[in-house]
Amino acid sequence: MPSFHVRQDVDFGFIKRVAVLPLNNLTNERFAAEAVRQVVISELLASGLVDVVIPGEVKATIDRLGIKSVSSLNTKQIKALGTALGVQALILGSVEQFGMVRMGNISAPNVTITLMMADTGSGSIIWSVTSTGVGGGFMARHFGARTETMSETLLRVVKEAIRTLAKY
Amino acid sequence: MIDRVKRKKQNKTLPGPLLLALSLLLIFMWGCGSPRQYIRPDVDIRSIRKIAVLPLETLTTDEYAGEKIRGMVISELLTRGVDVIEPGEVTRVLRELKIRSLGGITIEDIRKIGKRLKVKAVMMGSVGAFGISRGITASYPEVSIQLMILDTSSGNIIWSAWNTAGGPSFWTRHFGTEGTTLSETAREVVKETVDALF
Repeated sequence: MPSFHVRQDVDFGFIKRVAVLPLNNLTNERFAAEAVRQVVISELLASGLVDVVIPGEVKATIDRLGIKSVSSLNTKQIKALGTALGVQALILGSVEQFGMVRMGNISAPNVTITLMMADTGSGSIIWSVTSTGVGGGFMARHFGARTETMSETLLRVVKEAIRTLAKY
Repeated sequence: MIDRVKRKKQNKTLPGPLLLALSLLLIFMWGCGSPRQYIRPDVDIRSIRKIAVLPLETLTTDEYAGEKIRGMVISELLTRGVDVIEPGEVTRVLRELKIRSLGGITIEDIRKIGKRLKVKAVMMGSVGAFGISRGITASYPEVSIQLMILDTSSGNIIWSAWNTAGGPSFWTRHFGTEGTTLSETAREVVKETVDALF
């Protein structure tokens, strides 16, 4: 179960369209952030919660507004991105783990992500979640059951993160 | 009479071999499934009969992964009777529009591509995994893809799916038998994803 925070005084019903910003890559895997971002976009759409702006439009808008780093956006920049992209919220975050970890005598995929939602009206963070997953469970370690692939672990971690938002 | 009741009761329990076969079937089915997808509610996506497939973004160390998957996607679409614009023609238009980065295609670019290629929809996406991964006791292929269809008049995403295939099978893990190849896994993931749509 991921650890998460939701602002209780916010009505999430007003959020119809979001933009998923490029995630901050805190791993040694070159493509980790972009791979996670694609899954986040797909899951947000598949969950039926919100509509998502295409990634290219987001990149072009960030460039046009002269924003150099999306990992440290100020309130003014969040509002400006919201207006330019026509969205009620921005999804931002980071990938902390994306690779294989050693667990006793086996190796298993390990993914950890942090996602946040910023309200473009106020510029404040209204949802944040940290989700982590390891592909090799008890059955895999001790009884030779099937371990997840990296992609399956990634999908599970993202799904669990977005499920915390779906509750609201 | 008592005999008949007994026989009826016996028939209700599954015999050992059948139970074993069912268990094996469940093991084989583990990991199989259709992709999670999104279809825009107000759009009849299945009425699309002509589409341009843009080059897919490669997010793996195999720099040709995007192009390999793109070829398979085009084949799958063609076998389902969807008309696909020549990849060379798509490249020419992308060059004319001076689009250098696939990750930077804007809504305006999508509109222009649609107008020049005379299509109502374009498909784009990325390849997140394409390679052989190392498991506990065996190596196995792993492929994951993300595909989207965009409406060229509005630039909206009208269909999106993310799918993955691969992983160590029961027989590979325990008996060292040969599993599926990378190409077979890639074909499987593409087929499953396109199946979900057409």
